[in-house]
Amino acid sequence: MLLNSVVIILREVLEAALLMSVFLASARFLHTRNRWAIWALVTGAIGAVSYGFLLEPVSDLFDGVGQEVCNALLQYGAFASLAAVAFHIPRRSNNLKSSPATIVALMALTLTFAITREGAEVLVYVSGFWDVSDFFSAVALGSVIGACIGFSVGVLIYYLLLAQPVRWALPTSVLLIHLIAGGLASQATRLLIQADWIQAGSPIWDTSSILSEQSLAGQLLYALVGYEASPSGIEVLAYVGSVLIVATAYFAGKFSSQRATADLE
Amino acid sequence: MKSIRLYLIMSLLAAVTLGNFVAAVYGYKSSMAETEALLDNQLADTAAIMQTMRPGTHRVSLPPSERLAFQIWTADQRLVQRSENSSQTPITRLEEGYRDENFEGYRWRVLSQFDADASLWLMVAERIDIRIDLADDIILRALLPIIISLPLIAAIVWLVVGNGLSLVSKLAKELREKRADDLTRLGTVNPPVELVPVVDAINGLLHRLDASIKRERRFSSDAAHELRTPISALKVHVHNLRKQFPDNNEDLRVLDRDLGRLSHLIEQIMLLYRTSPEHYQASMRSINLSDLARSVIAELYSDVDARGQTISLSGTSQTIIGDEDSLRIMLANLIQNASKYSPEGASITVSVDKEELGIWLGVKDTGPGIPLTEINQVFDRFRRVGGDRHGSTVDGCGLGLSIVKHIASLHHANISLQNNEDGPGLTVSVFFPADLHVFMGTGRNSP
Repeated sequence: MLLNSVVIILREVLEAALLMSVFLASARFLHTRNRWAIWALVTGAIGAVSYGFLLEPVSDLFDGVGQEVCNALLQYGAFASLAAVAFHIPRRSNNLKSSPATIVALMALTLTFAITREGAEVLVYVSGFWDVSDFFSAVALGSVIGACIGFSVGVLIYYLLLAQPVRWALPTSVLLIHLIAGGLASQATRLLIQADWIQAGSPIWDTSSILSEQSLAGQLLYALVGYEASPSGIEVLAYVGSVLIVATAYFAGKFSSQRATADLE
Repeated sequence: MKSIRLYLIMSLLAAVTLGNFVAAVYGYKSSMAETEALLDNQLADTAAIMQTMRPGTHRVSLPPSERLAFQIWTADQRLVQRSENSSQTPITRLEEGYRDENFEGYRWRVLSQFDADASLWLMVAERIDIRIDLADDIILRALLPIIISLPLIAAIVWLVVGNGLSLVSKLAKELREKRADDLTRLGTVNPPVELVPVVDAINGLLHRLDASIKRERRFSSDAAHELRTPISALKVHVHNLRKQFPDNNEDLRVLDRDLGRLSHLIEQIMLLYRTSPEHYQASMRSINLSDLARSVIAELYSDVDARGQTISLSGTSQTIIGDEDSLRIMLANLIQNASKYSPEGASITVSVDKEELGIWLGVKDTGPGIPLTEINQVFDRFRRVGGDRHGSTVDGCGLGLSIVKHIASLHHANISLQNNEDGPGLTVSVFFPADLHVFMGTGRNSP
């Protein structure tokens, strides 16, 4: 029970912690204040509790696959706002005098989507064992361990990003944003496969013998790049497509900001 | 990073937590495997005991338990004996070894063993959920101290990092509290090796700055002295020449005027230097600003009157903590400026009043005022409104307001200029904030 709890909670917390670390570090490089993160945490927590309470009626939607569909929508929402963040990063970094309101709002929105989904899952999992006294201590302990490992990895990644030489710091964060976006989109696609909205097809490869999804490294890679040991073709397509979309958004932002600078000159 | 303390605490805690918990998870996994092996051995022991009891001849009975179940089958698959909580069908394959099986609504760990002597199959089973509970309970008791110790580790890390950085904080405090004119060495004794270069660099800088200021002081003092003496001599010579040439010689008049300007410029440069906050040795004490204004007005009254201008003092009697000499210079400069830039017949009003957040000193004239485009530049050194083409007939060098600004900075006061709203003219306002100046109001000034 303890190990299951560690894996489940770690998976959810790690994803949000990683996103938050990358955003907080990017915000530092883009010279914006970090007050948005508190708002994102508060709205995300409210969203998670609300979604957790509504999970039963939500699950009954779409012939019983409402939860998967809603989770997929939240993931796609996070992906879309992350792509918008990627578009605005070069615009802000090329013109630090411009207002950071848009990029800050988009970061807060992405994080709110992520915390809502992941927070609701944590809430539902832990509350499921609330009355089961036999398992509760193991679940509680496993949850604490999973959450602490997730937060710790987030903190260390944040400081690692800050420790980068200035010229590499923002490009590293942007690269991580691309990978996280790919992970979000492929996870959303997987949820739609689970809901039978998309046909999965057979797995393209199977690396579970090399790196299990349940291992700590597997969990870290799941949060970072959406690692799955045996992905289907459609998941790989979703991953590659979403990374390309984010890259296009980033270069479009870069191009438009360069044009704006050239016009001013 | 924003804060070294936060960085050290957060990263150390994250590293300790990650290390501890990852170790705990792996410890749990290996402990669980060990415990399972132990319980498997226990199951084998139970089977061995049953075997020695020769179930074919003795009636085997295990104490009623939810945890254990057993079956004994003959080689030709006939059920000889079973526990009450097992079914009539084999609970596992007739094949030796450990296996996980489902029956009676639970998942079981089953050991199947063939007794060749008796030609019987022994099957002993233990409920997996109970085994996990048991193992969980044992391992969780071992893990709990790691979790509980985390806040303790956090507190120790907090204290250790805080203590380690206390010398940096002490150094920062010493630098923060150092007066602008205090260029003595830092008092940090035996700094840690990491701070030695910083303390040495600061002390070196202070030493060089002190030497440079002393040099500058000496130069200014020498220059002033060296310039004042010949100028005084020149003045005497000009005076003598005017006596010899009483027919109002034009060249002598120009020479006399330029000599006056040169003398004024040197005095103003000296004043600007002396009143700079880095150099000025202020003697702060309680001063009645209204009385001081009255005294300065009295000193300058004849000059103002000579231009046909009127001057008055209004407001209430207010006391501030300040340096009398510098405040006197400030007031004199403001009044002289007002008189200089106002036409003949203009009126000048000096006001001292108490406001919600401090004491306000205003000098208002009815002159031409200052164009808005130049209002922010008048404090620059050698800056004169309208350049040298201003309409004043009085000499000036453009240092008066720079000196006033120095003196305002000495008193942590704010200075601002506004063109009058109720007619032509300019009002210079100096605001002494209440939190820095103890003040009290008494009575009303008579105009």
